[in-house]
Amino acid sequence: MSIIKDVQSGKKPLKRAYVAIFLWFTGRAIQAAAKVDREVKKEFEKLPENFTFSLGCLPDGPWMVVGREKGVVKYLGGDSRGRPVQVRLAIKSLDAGFLILSFQESTTLATARNRLITDGEIPYALAIIRILDIVEVYLLPKLIASLAVKRYPSWWTPARKFGGRIGVYTRTLLGI
Amino acid sequence: MLLPDYYEFCCRVKIVAGHDALEKIPDLLIERGAKKPLVITDKGVAGAGLTDIVSRAIGDRVDAGLIADDVPPDSDLRVVNRLARLYRDNACDAIIAVGGGSVMDTAKGINIVVSENAEDLMAFSGVGALKRPLKPLIAIPTTAGTGSEVTQVAVIKDHEKHLKMAFGSYFLLPDIAILDSRMTLTMPPFITAMTGMDAMSHAVEAYYCLQKNPLSDAHSLAAVGMIYRYLPLAVKNPEDRDSRLAMAVAACLAGIAFSNSMVGLVHNLGHATGSVCGVPHGLCMAILLPYGLEYNLHKRANVMAELLLPIAGEQVYLATPPEQRAQKVVSLIRGLNENLHAITGGRHARCLQEIKDREGKPSVPRDILPQIASAALLDGASIYNPEDTDYEDNRMVLEAAWEGKPLDRTRVKKG
Amino acid sequence: MNSAAVFAFTCPVKTNSGNKALENLPVELAGLNAVNPLVVANARAVGSKAVRTLMGAFGDSGMTLGLFEGVTEATDLGVVDHLKNICLEKKYDAFIALGGGKAADVAKVLNLAVSLKTPDARRLLPEAPVRKRLLPLVVVPAAGADGLETSQLACLSRMVFSSEWLAPALAVLDPRLARAKNGIQMAATGLAALGRAVESHISADQNPFRKAYSFAAIRFVRENLLSAVADPGNRKAALAVLNSAAMSGCAFSNAASGRLHKLGQVFYDLLGIPQGVIMGMGLPLVLEDALREGRYDLAALFQPLAGDDAFAQTPAEKRPEAALVLLNRFLEDLRSVLGKELPKSLREAGVPGYRKEEILDVLGQDEDGPYLRGVVERMADGERERKG
Ligand SMILES: [Fe+2]
Repeated sequence: MSIIKDVQSGKKPLKRAYVAIFLWFTGRAIQAAAKVDREVKKEFEKLPENFTFSLGCLPDGPWMVVGREKGVVKYLGGDSRGRPVQVRLAIKSLDAGFLILSFQESTTLATARNRLITDGEIPYALAIIRILDIVEVYLLPKLIASLAVKRYPSWWTPARKFGGRIGVYTRTLLGI
Repeated sequence: MLLPDYYEFCCRVKIVAGHDALEKIPDLLIERGAKKPLVITDKGVAGAGLTDIVSRAIGDRVDAGLIADDVPPDSDLRVVNRLARLYRDNACDAIIAVGGGSVMDTAKGINIVVSENAEDLMAFSGVGALKRPLKPLIAIPTTAGTGSEVTQVAVIKDHEKHLKMAFGSYFLLPDIAILDSRMTLTMPPFITAMTGMDAMSHAVEAYYCLQKNPLSDAHSLAAVGMIYRYLPLAVKNPEDRDSRLAMAVAACLAGIAFSNSMVGLVHNLGHATGSVCGVPHGLCMAILLPYGLEYNLHKRANVMAELLLPIAGEQVYLATPPEQRAQKVVSLIRGLNENLHAITGGRHARCLQEIKDREGKPSVPRDILPQIASAALLDGASIYNPEDTDYEDNRMVLEAAWEGKPLDRTRVKKG
Repeated sequence: MNSAAVFAFTCPVKTNSGNKALENLPVELAGLNAVNPLVVANARAVGSKAVRTLMGAFGDSGMTLGLFEGVTEATDLGVVDHLKNICLEKKYDAFIALGGGKAADVAKVLNLAVSLKTPDARRLLPEAPVRKRLLPLVVVPAAGADGLETSQLACLSRMVFSSEWLAPALAVLDPRLARAKNGIQMAATGLAALGRAVESHISADQNPFRKAYSFAAIRFVRENLLSAVADPGNRKAALAVLNSAAMSGCAFSNAASGRLHKLGQVFYDLLGIPQGVIMGMGLPLVLEDALREGRYDLAALFQPLAGDDAFAQTPAEKRPEAALVLLNRFLEDLRSVLGKELPKSLREAGVPGYRKEEILDVLGQDEDGPYLRGVVERMADGERERKG
C-alpha cells in the first residue's frame, strides 16, 4: 500500500443549494427592480443592448446570469448558454458565496475582504455593483441593509420603500 | 494593530536598493539564467542619459546592448507587438524596463506576448488569464512615485480599436525592482514634488481604504514618515543622493501598500481629472489628498489619527489631543503642499484652479468640474473608498479642491 | 536605513489570512497553474480534525488530492526520496504543507527533489545552489507552528537547506487551525515569532521593507499572545499569533541568522524542546548583552513593543532600556499564566547536565560559538544565581 492516499474532494450539497436558491432570488429581484425602480432602470439603460453579466462562485458555480434583451432586463438562469458575458463577478469560493448570500457579509465587506474577482470593463462592473447595492436595500430590512451597503440611500422615502419593495418582492417570486 | 476578519497580501517582487544598486543587475540576471535582456525605455529617459548610466553599470558580463527607446507616453498595442518581435528576433531572454508607468505597462505587455507565445494579447486580458511565470522582468523606476515597479496590473491601449485592455495577475509583477538614486537625481523639482505626493497619496489612501491589513499598514506607516521627511529635502536639493534614495524606497513601500489595500476617492477623482483635462496624475493627487481624508474622516478618524506619529513625530503627536489628530494630519499635508509650492517657486499647484498648461492657461476651468464628476463614476477606485460617493459628492469635493478651501464636512452625507 | 550599502529584500510568500481562508485554496492553486496537489501533514501533531478541515475545504471543487499524513519528527531524506518517486509517478504539481515545523520542512525538501528530479534525494546537498523555480508550495501553519514555515529555510536530517526558491508561494492562515493544543504550545509559537522578529528588527543590516514585516510581527505578538495563551478559545488572538509567526518567517528569510535563532535551533534539533521556549529563555540575556555592548538598535524595538502612546512619551535615550523592561515584564506575565510550564532555566526545563555539554559541543562549531556557550551557561540555572 502506498504511503500516499488519493482523496476525492467531497460535496457540499446544502451550501450549494442555498447559494443556488439565493442566486435565483437575486436574479429575479434584479429583473423586477429593473421594472419598478427608476435608479436601476437608469443604470441598465446606460448598458449596451444584449449586455450580460453573471454572478456566482468559483471554482464550480452555481451561477446566475442576467441580461438585456430588446431593452428588457431578464434573469437568464444559471448558465449563460454560450451568450458572451461582459461582466463576471466571481466569488472566490462557495463558502464565501454562502457568507455573502446569507447576508453575513455585505458586498462592501466582501470587497474589503477580497472575496470577489471582478472581470470585465470597469465602468460596466461599477454599474452592476450599484444595481446590486440597490437590490440589496430592497430585499433586506433596513437594519441589515444599512450594514450591507456603505451608505443607506437618502432616496428611501416611505412611498418608494413600500411600493418599491412590495413590487420587487412579488415580482421576484412570480418571476415577472 | 487591527487584524481583519479576512485579508490577502502579496508582493513577490525582489527589491534591490542603494546608490549602486544597478551594478547588481548582471548577477541578478545570471541567477535567473538570463544573458541577453532587451532594454526598453522612452525618449525622455534616454535623453536624460539614464539608459547610459544603466548600460555602464551593467558592463559587459551580460549582453544588454539592445535598447528600444521609443515607448510612447501612452502604452500602445502596436508598440508592444513590435517590441515583442524585436525581442524574439534577437533571441532575448529577459526584459529590463527603465522609466515610468507607460514603460512598465509596455514591458509587462511584451512579457505576456513573448512568454505565452501569444499572437493576440487580448486573449490574456482580465483576471486569472495568466497561469504561469513569465520571463524575468527587471523594473527600474525613474520617478519616485507611481510604484508601478511593484504593481500587478498593466493597461495597454489599442488605439486603432479605441480599446483599453487591463491585465491583472501576480505573474505580471516584475521579478526585480532596482531602486537606484542615480535614476532620479536629474528629475526637476516640481516633478519630484508631484510624483512624491503621488506616493504620499498611495501610502495614505492605502491606510484608510477598505482592504487595509496589517502588512499594508506597516508599509504605509513606513512610507508616510519617509515621504514627509525626505520629499521637501529632495525638492530643495535635487542632487542630494540620500533623499533621492529615501524617496525611491518610500515610493516603493507605498506602492506595495496600495496595490494590496487599494486606493479610494483621491485616485477616483484624480483619474477622472487626469483623463478629462490631461493634467499630471501626481499634481491631482497632491491637491486632492487632503480632501480624500476630510471626506472619509467621519468613518476613519481613529485610523487617520495613527498617521500623525510617523508624519509629525513625538512632540506634535503628544501635543495634539487624540480626537484632533486626524484633522492635524489633514492640515500637515496641506502644509506640505504649501511648502512644496514655495520651494518650486509656485509650480506645485495647491488647488485645481492653479494648475496651468505650458502656455500658462488654466488646465482645469471651473465649468468642466461637472464633467469630471461624471467621469469619476466610471472609475473603479470608488469601490474601495470607505464612504459612498455619487455625482453630487464628487462635485462637492471637486468644487472645494478647485477653490482650495477645506471641505465643509457638514455637507458630507453620512451613512 | 543604511544608505551606504546596497540592500535586497524579497518575500515570495502571499498571505491569505482569516475566515474561510482554506476554502480559497482551489482558486489559489488554479492561479498557480496547479490541479493535482499533494498534502504533506504531520497528522499526529496537528490532529486528524485539522486534516479533515483542510480536505473539506476542497469540497465541491471536483479535485483529487494526494495525502501523505505520516510526517514525524524522524522523517528524513530517505523518506523524502521514497515520496519523490511516488510524486514523479503520480505527477503531483503542487505541495500543501499542513502544520508547523517538520511538515513544512519535509514539503520544501520534497519540492526541491521533485522539481529538480533529483535521482537520489538522500544525496541532496544544502550547499548546492538552486537556480530554478520549483513547483508551487503552499504552507498551512497550524498548532505548533514556529514561523519558519514561511521562510526560505528547511531543516532535515540535520542539514539546513536555504534558498529563495524554497520559500512557499502562499501561506494560508485559518482560524479553524490556529488553536494550539495547550497554552505552552501557543506560547512557543509566539515566542519563536517574537525572537526571530526582534533579531531581524534590531540588527545592523535592517531595511524598511524587512522592518515592515518585523514591526507587524512584534506588535501582533505583544498585543495578542497573552490572551491567546490565557484563553485557548480566543480564535482571533490565536490567528493573530499565527500571523506574526508567518510575518517573522518572511523577515527572518532576509536577515542573517541571529543568535537567538541558533540557540532555538540547537535545542530543538538535539532535545526536541520547542524553539520558542528556548528563545524566550535566551531573549532577555541576549538583549541585555546587546544593550551593554550597544551592538544593536534596541531603541527601534520600543515602538512595536510599547505602542504609539508609550513610545511618544518615552525620551529617545531611555527607549533601549525601556524596551528591555517591557520585554521582561511581558515574559513574566506569560509565566504567571503558564507557571513552570514555561521554564526560566534549563534546569526547570529538565535538561540534564550531560545533554547541556552536548549542546555546548555543537555550539562550539558556530562562529558565534564562544558567545552562545556563555549564554547557555547562564541559562542553565537561570539569572538569579548569576546575579546573586
Ligand atoms: Fe497614484
